[in-house]
Order: sequence, then C-alpha cells, then structure tokens
Amino acid sequence: MTNPLGTRLDATFKGVELRSGVDGRLAVVVPREAIVPVLTFLKEDGYDYLQLISCVDWIDRGEFELVYLLSFYTEDEVGRDGGKQEVLLKATVPREQASAPTATGVFAIAEPHEREIHELYGIHFEGHPRLTPLFLDRDYEIPPFRKDFDTKQYVADVFDRVPPIDEEG
Amino acid sequence: MRELELYFGPQHLGMVGNFSITLKVEGDRILEATANPGYLHRGFEKLMEGRSWIKNFPMVCRINLVDPDHMEMIYAMGVEKLAGIEVPERAQFVRSIYLELARVSSHLFGLWAYANMLGFDTVSNWAMYHRDLVLDLFEELTGGRVYHIYVWPGGVRRDFPEGFTDRMVSTLHSIGGCVPDYDTTFFNNKLFSERARGVGVVSREEALAMGGVGQVIRATGMKYDVRKVDPYAAYDRVPWEVHTRDDGDAYSRICVVRDEMIESVHMIFNLIDAMPEGDVYNRVPNPLKWKIPAGEAYVRCESSRGELGLYLVSDGGEKPHRVHFRTPSYAHGLAILEKTLVGANIADVGNIMMSMYVVAPEIDR
Amino acid sequence: MSKRGFLNSLSVGKHLFGKPKTTCYPFTPKEPALRYRGFHLNDWDTCTGCGNCAEICPNDAIEMIEIAELESVPGMKNERPRLDYGRCCFCGLCVDICPPGSLRLSRDYFHTHFDTDTFVFTPRDDKADQEKFVPDESYSVLKASLSHRKRNYEGFSSDLDYALFEPERVPMPEIPPTERKLSFVEQVIGYSKEEAVHEAARCLGCGLCEDACPAHMKISDYILAVYNDEPEESLRKIYEDNPIPAICGRLCMKHCEDACALRLRGEPVAIRWLKRFVSDSIRDYKTVLEQAPGQPTGKKVGVVGAGPGGLSVAYFLRLMGHEVVVFDELEGGGGMIRVGPPRYRLPLASIDKDVDYIASLGVDFRFNTRVGKDVSFEGLRQEFDAVYLGVGLTKSRSTGVDNSEKCGLALDFLRKNKTDRPTAVTKEIVVIGGGNVAMDVAREALRLQQIQHPGEKTVTRMVSLEDWDEMPATSEEIEETREEGIEFNPAWGPKKVLLDDGGNVKGLLCMKVKSVFDDEGRFAPTFREDEEMVLEGTMIIEAIGQGPDFSFVPEGEFEKMEFTAMRKVSVDEDGMTSLPGVFAGGDIVNINLDAVTAIADAKIASEGIHRWMQSK
Repeated sequence: MTNPLGTRLDATFKGVELRSGVDGRLAVVVPREAIVPVLTFLKEDGYDYLQLISCVDWIDRGEFELVYLLSFYTEDEVGRDGGKQEVLLKATVPREQASAPTATGVFAIAEPHEREIHELYGIHFEGHPRLTPLFLDRDYEIPPFRKDFDTKQYVADVFDRVPPIDEEG
Repeated sequence: MRELELYFGPQHLGMVGNFSITLKVEGDRILEATANPGYLHRGFEKLMEGRSWIKNFPMVCRINLVDPDHMEMIYAMGVEKLAGIEVPERAQFVRSIYLELARVSSHLFGLWAYANMLGFDTVSNWAMYHRDLVLDLFEELTGGRVYHIYVWPGGVRRDFPEGFTDRMVSTLHSIGGCVPDYDTTFFNNKLFSERARGVGVVSREEALAMGGVGQVIRATGMKYDVRKVDPYAAYDRVPWEVHTRDDGDAYSRICVVRDEMIESVHMIFNLIDAMPEGDVYNRVPNPLKWKIPAGEAYVRCESSRGELGLYLVSDGGEKPHRVHFRTPSYAHGLAILEKTLVGANIADVGNIMMSMYVVAPEIDR
Repeated sequence: MSKRGFLNSLSVGKHLFGKPKTTCYPFTPKEPALRYRGFHLNDWDTCTGCGNCAEICPNDAIEMIEIAELESVPGMKNERPRLDYGRCCFCGLCVDICPPGSLRLSRDYFHTHFDTDTFVFTPRDDKADQEKFVPDESYSVLKASLSHRKRNYEGFSSDLDYALFEPERVPMPEIPPTERKLSFVEQVIGYSKEEAVHEAARCLGCGLCEDACPAHMKISDYILAVYNDEPEESLRKIYEDNPIPAICGRLCMKHCEDACALRLRGEPVAIRWLKRFVSDSIRDYKTVLEQAPGQPTGKKVGVVGAGPGGLSVAYFLRLMGHEVVVFDELEGGGGMIRVGPPRYRLPLASIDKDVDYIASLGVDFRFNTRVGKDVSFEGLRQEFDAVYLGVGLTKSRSTGVDNSEKCGLALDFLRKNKTDRPTAVTKEIVVIGGGNVAMDVAREALRLQQIQHPGEKTVTRMVSLEDWDEMPATSEEIEETREEGIEFNPAWGPKKVLLDDGGNVKGLLCMKVKSVFDDEGRFAPTFREDEEMVLEGTMIIEAIGQGPDFSFVPEGEFEKMEFTAMRKVSVDEDGMTSLPGVFAGGDIVNINLDAVTAIADAKIASEGIHRWMQSK
C-alpha cells in the first residue's frame, strides 16, 4: 500500500486491513476493539467530520458491519482533488454478541447515530451515555432493521394481540 | 425557582412538523432539552430493502416533503455510481437547474414556516405564493407539483418542454422583483432582526464538532458547500458564490438562506446559457430484472438544508441490501438543537429550531 | 438598524391596491400542465393486456382484470389494468413501461365520492362515450369525477425515448449478401454470450409469447435463465416442451415474436435466436439435461417419419418409458427439415445434434426404410401398440401448364443439393412460386450458379401469382432474397413453358394476374389473358407448394381415413385418426405447416397415445 495514511495506520495499529477504496475512499477494516483508537487517530489527522455511522446486517455471515464514514471540513473548492482521501472505516460485530465501543468520546455526532443503530439493530454501544429509544414506541424481540425481522409477523404478533372488543362490555 | 418539565410539540403552535422537544425549564430559561423524533417513523430505509431498484425511485422523494428533489437526486447518484451508469451532459445541466429550482422552492417554504412562526404573516403568505409559482414550473416540467419523480438513474425523465426556459426565467424574474419587499418587511426590518439577532448562537467549533452542515456552518463564516467541495451535476460548469455570514445566530442563518435563494436564481440563468443540446437520458437496463453488481457507494449532495448523503449497499441482487440516508436535519435537529436550546428562552424554541431548518420527516426517514 | 428600518416595512402597503393574486377556485379553475400526472387513460384497442404496468407498480395499485367482452388472441390477452386510487401514487412508471403506449395519464384529478368502491377503476378511453368523456362546454369542475372527465385531456404520456424498455433488439451478426451468395455457409452467425444476455435483458417477462407459441414453451423462463447466464437451466426449460432446439432455434416460424409486446413500437425480443444461442452454447445436451427414459412399460410405438413431429413424439413417449421405433426413408433424421431448408439456413450438423440426443435416450431410428415399401403399414399396426404418422408434405405440386413436365420440382431440387450431388444449373433460371420454399429454391439456385459459373453473368428470376403484399413467404425471407440480387416478378401467372426446336426449355410465358383469391378468400386466381410477358430462362423450377403422399396406406385402410374440409387428416383431441391406434400430427393435420406446430401436435398425440395404450 503506497498510501501514506494507510502506511501510518498499518504501522500504528494491529490487525488493520486496508482494502481498495469505495469510489476513491480509503477503506480500512479494523477489529472492533480498535474502533475508538483509530477514530481518534484519524480525527487528529484532520478527519474532523464524521458523516455517518451505518450498520449493515450480513445475516449469511452472521455478523453486523459497522461503517464509519469520515471526511473533513474544508473551504477548498473540489476538496477531494487536494489529495486527501476520505476514509471508510469498517468493523464487524458478531450477531450473537452484538456490542461495540462507543465513539461518542471522539465525535459528539456519534451519539444519535449509535442510539439509532442500537434501536434498529440491537447493537449495544459500551459507554454510550443514553441508549434510550429514539424512534420506536414498543419493544420487539427482533430489532426491526435486522434481516430476520419479518414485517408481517410483527404485525400479526403486535396488532393481532389487541383483545377483540367484547360486545357485552 | 422550581424546575418544570415542558412538552414542546408535536401539538404545539410553535412547532412545525411532527417533532417534539422535552424541555426542562426553570422559569423561562431552558436547562435541558431532549429532542423526540419518531412521530412519523416510516421505515423508508427498511422498506427500500424489500423493493426493486426502480420501485424505490418514486418513493425516495417522499422522505422529505419540503425538498423531495434532492432525495431523488441522491438516490439516482447512488444507483448510478453502483451500477456504473453514465449521465448525458445535458441531463447534468437539467438536473442542476431542477435542483436549484427545488432549492428556491424549499427555501421559500422554509421562509414561510419561519416567518409564520414569528408572526410575520405577510411575508409568509408571500413566500407561499411565490413557492406556488415555482411549483407551477415543476408541474409543467414533471407533471407533479410536490412530488416530481423526475430525476431518475440515467438522467432525467423528460426534457424541457417547448418554451419552458422562457417561462422559468420570467417567473424567476417576477419573484426576484419582490426581493426588495422581502428585505424591507423582513430581513431589514428591525422587528425581525431584534427577534433573531443573538438568538441560538452556534459557534463554528460547536457546529463542526456536531456534524453541522449547510446554513448552520455557513452562518459561522465557513464556506463549506458540497456543490463546491465535491461537485456533482453541472455545478462546476458555471461560476457562482457560496454565501456566508459570521455571527452564527438565527439571523445569520436566515440571511444565508436569503442570499442562497438569490444566488440560485442567478445560477439558473447561467446554467440556461451554458446548457448544451443533446440527450437527457441514458436508458437503464430492463427495470423488471435489473440487477446491480455487489458493492457499496457513498454519495452526497447539497440539499437545501445542507449536506445530504446516501450510503447504498448492493449484494448483487434486484434490491438494495442496505440504504442509509445521512440527512442534514439529523445532526441539526438532534445534536445541535439540544445543545443550543440550553439557556434559551421558551419563546425562542421554535425560532431556533426553524432557523436551523429542521425538517422532522428527514430525521425519521 | 435605524428606526426607519421598521417604518420602511409599511411601504409594502402599496400591495393593498394591486390586483389580488389568489384565484377564486373552483370558479376560476386552474388548468393543469400538459404533462400533468392525473387519472389514467387506457386505449383498449392497443392495450395488449401484458400486465407490465401491474408488474412495475411500486404500490401494487394495478391489478389485471379479465374482461369477458374481449377475446384473447395471440399477442393480445383479454385482461386490462384496473387501478386502485387508494394506492396509486401517480408516479407514472406504468406509463413508461407500457410497451404499446396505451396507458397514459390524463389531466383530470378530481374524484369525490362517498362510496370507496368507486376509487377502484378500470380506465378505458371511449371516445364515443358521451357520459364519461364530456366535451369542454359540458365539463364542470364541480361535477368532475372519474366518470365525468374532460374529453381529449391527455397528460403525461409515453415517449419512446424515455421508455423503460429497450425498443431495439441486439442486431444479429450476419454474413453480408454479396459474400453469402457465393457459398452455402450459414448466413446467421449467432449471438455471442454478451449479445445474448443483452438481448435476453430486453424481455419484460409478460408471457404473451407463451400463449402464442403452439407448443406453449416456457419462453419467459428460458430467456430469464439466459439473462442470468445459466444456459444449462435454459436448455432444461426448453426441453420441457421442445426436443429440437437447434432446429427450432434456426427456422422456427416464431409465432412468439409476432406476439411479443415490444413489437408494437419496436422490435420483438429475438426469442428464436436466443433459443439457438442456448442450443449452440451447450456442446453436450446429455450431461446437462440428465434425462433418462421412464420405467419400461412394455408398450411399443411405431413412428412414421423422423421430422419434427416424429422426433418429438419419440422423445416424449420415450421419457414415459415406452419403446419407440422411428422409420424414415432418408438416411438421417429431420424429415422434410433435413431436405428442405438449405444449408445456409440449417446445417445438417445442427439437425444431427438434436436427433442424436433423442437417439441417445434409446429411441430406435430405422433410416433408409420406407414404410409401404420396405415395411408395410399393416405390419406396423400389428407389431406396435400404436402408430404415429408424422409424414409431412413430401410431394411437390406442379403448375400443370403446357410442357410443365420439362420443369424441375422444388423438393427434388432441394433434396439433391442438400443430401446428394448438387444439381447442374444453367445461367438463366426461373423459379415459380412465392412461398418460403420458392425463396429457398431461388437462393440455392443462385448459389449454385455462382459456384458453377464463376465470373459469368447469371440471372435468377422469380415469378409468383401473389403481389408483394400477399406473398406467402415471410417478409424477412423476401428481404434477404432481394438483397442477394434475385429478380422478382410478382403478380404474374405461368401460362406455358416455351421450348426451343430441340425441345429444351427456353422461357416461361406469363400472364398478368387480376386477383389471386376470390371474395371468400379462397385460392382462385384470375388472369388478364391479354397481358403477357416472356421470362427467359433455360431452367425452370416449380415451387408452388407440396402435398401429402399417402401411397403407403393400403387402399382399403385409406378409405376409412377421414379428412377435414381443408383436406387435412382428421384427428380427435388425443391426436388419433379415424383408424384406431393410428395417431397423426404435423403438416398433414394442421394448417400452420411449421415445425413448432408439429411439436405441439406431437405433444398432444404423445399423451393421447400414452392414455390409449394404458387403457388397452
């Protein structure tokens, strides 16, 4: 890997895997323990803008993939041509033990993102200040954005349980 | 003084949209604010995983009623990037013009909501009327007034109708002719500036730390605009300016909105002049069995409220594997709003929220 | 900001004296834009009932409803879309996918009703319907509804440039006319894998073709398999209904393509070429198909004729476990397909590929064996539990004009060229006939002239009773024949073959045709006797049609065989003739006279034979 950032990451952290980028981004796969240190490292390196934390359910592989999209604020026109590559950080989390360290200590905006992922995928973020529900109203055995969540089954389970109105009173 | 918990919205006169904020107040002062989205969680992202690539296209615009067009654009951009579809040059110009029209329409809508909430009914009615004129243009171009379903993967759905550019120019001129009226009644009106200056100040550091985009950071003097930083469509083909203000307060934010609207109109005129002839659509593969190669893409564009992103994952099938929208209101409405409200007056809650241009459906997705 | 800033705002009070901007709706109605996406319109005359609109609808708002008053014909189902306006989001995807462009959106958008059932609506343009589509003067916004709409109020309509389907097919690579007429090399080169996948992608999967195919092949499925790059799966789907894909992939009459929804505003999907691609891309059918004959039943079936029908009957019955013996007078399989279609259209290797596979299932082929000469028909009936006649039309007809005995006959000519030594041809040839066989004859004659008289001036002329528009050959075939430089003389009928002093042919005297068919559409040509012309030619070949040859059936039995009014062998729904245990199909039974209909007949007959033998 000729990318200087890649080289530095590789030299600094154990178990970092660099992949060919997604449309010009540098894709970095790290073990989940390394999420916070790598994010801190990147932030200090100028990646001050966490665009998104996303989660993908790869049910066939039995794991969730956390995706951190990192960019930087710039006033330069056509900033990407300036040579700085955006970074896509990935870490996998087994579906069985769905938990990951929180990134709220590094990026404040991680708070609602992680809260959402916790709610929709059931991933626990260790050290997150408030993993309270964000969007949803009721608890259900399977969080709704998991691939094994069956919408129809959910409706049957939740709404058919409403007791039928008894005419007698 | 006694602490009270106060529910602001969703049924509240000062609240625009299905959104609520739980406030902890002491007297008139807010000690703590908790944003509660979820009143219209429609699960679009989940829904899209179960629909084919083309069936998602009429649906994405519905994520955001105020600015549906950028939703169409971002989805088209994502699909084009994943599937490797080229867009004809003319279509890029048509898209830019269309998106700038959308920005004008969306800003006018936002101005309506903001002015209306502050009690400037005259201005809000003007804004609504002028937005309607823009919607007439959309109707002529796309056949729909609010949900246009126009930008689709491969280009746009139809070319400009005969004489459309002339009518567009004349409509925009007539709206532009009212800018002095807007200025005297609203932007330069002491009644308004007193109400908005120094309210809801977000410093640049705070904004950047919490993922602020759009007017929120442009009001702190930062020239950050995706159209410049990461140009798409035809934004790098014509000259135009990014407008900023320095104070970071509600007044600065709404003035950025004003300047942007005017800039958009100028940009449309430039785009019309520079627009090439040619096709506006590269046919996509048969949509009934369209498969997109496995892969992932993150695309972004500058919606009327700031950076809008889309993280799209395909597993090589006929449907997306994961769709995740990064909407500007997400950062503004959840993180920044909660922070900014602390210490503000109850009467300024709506003022601050609307000046940040928070659109609830965007948060709930 | 000064105090004036606040007072300044009062200046907008001037607007109080302007004209109001608000329109007084509905008394001053607002005209929707020309592209407005309102309620649907559907032209029932062009709607094919293909159901692609229902397929693409993101909200399942469209359901295809069977319309009793309409008749289903090939390429046109009797179904029409029904909209549920409780679900419709007016996106217009249905308009952009509609192959005939019949479904459009109108500029009407009012409908208020207390009955929710009225929101479920089957759109239909009925220009004459004064009740539903009212003229401008009787239209009123206050009464507007789904059944009170403005006439000629079309909005968002289909535009081929923006359609969601691809109207043009992937061009089939072919050898150009100037080159191909010099030899018998196969004219059509065949799709590459990329081309085939690309062409298969055009198919919308509506299945109109499947209804039109006489054999009801699972066309959508096998095309989908090609699209998914699974030719093996595709071949398995094809073999469910058609055991001769290499043959049919080259010369099927493709009723399916005539029914393809895309034909209406573009070119149909190249279904035939895709079938050919599948059969060509798989070298060894046996390992892919993994078929085995069924459990032995102890029943024996004799098949007369190894043409498409005979081959198919043998294949289907063998899979059921019966023993099958096929008799044919030729030295290989294919029947008339073996001798008729020239090599440039159907090489023998392709025929043998299909026949060899059927033989590999354990079907016993007895070639060079003519029923009625080498074995007797009666003998067959005694030896076998059932007999299938797939003998086809093997006797060329003659015009019967003066000296016509000096002319060559089409089938003899074709057979010799393909399976024996090529005929010696002269430099000027006249071919009589306007059908596909006549085209084959002329184009073969042209090639032989090029080979036997290289560098010399040669002429091939065609003369047909029918004019351009009524010529029975396919337009494709006529076009290719013209491209090769063959001269056409349509609407001329032969009167007499002219001979020179030595008794050799020197030309054909023709007379102008007045009409070919009578008022009832029957073949009854009339001529203008006074308008004559002479077509010069030292060789004349008659290719005006073929008839069946039943000489192998003993006279006593032949008398018991029943025929239809069209002079076709009459069979029941199981394919059985009036002779018990004797089944028939193909050209002697149907009027389509093509391979795929013979396969369809064979499928019916094989099931009939199976039932009949079980019941015995």
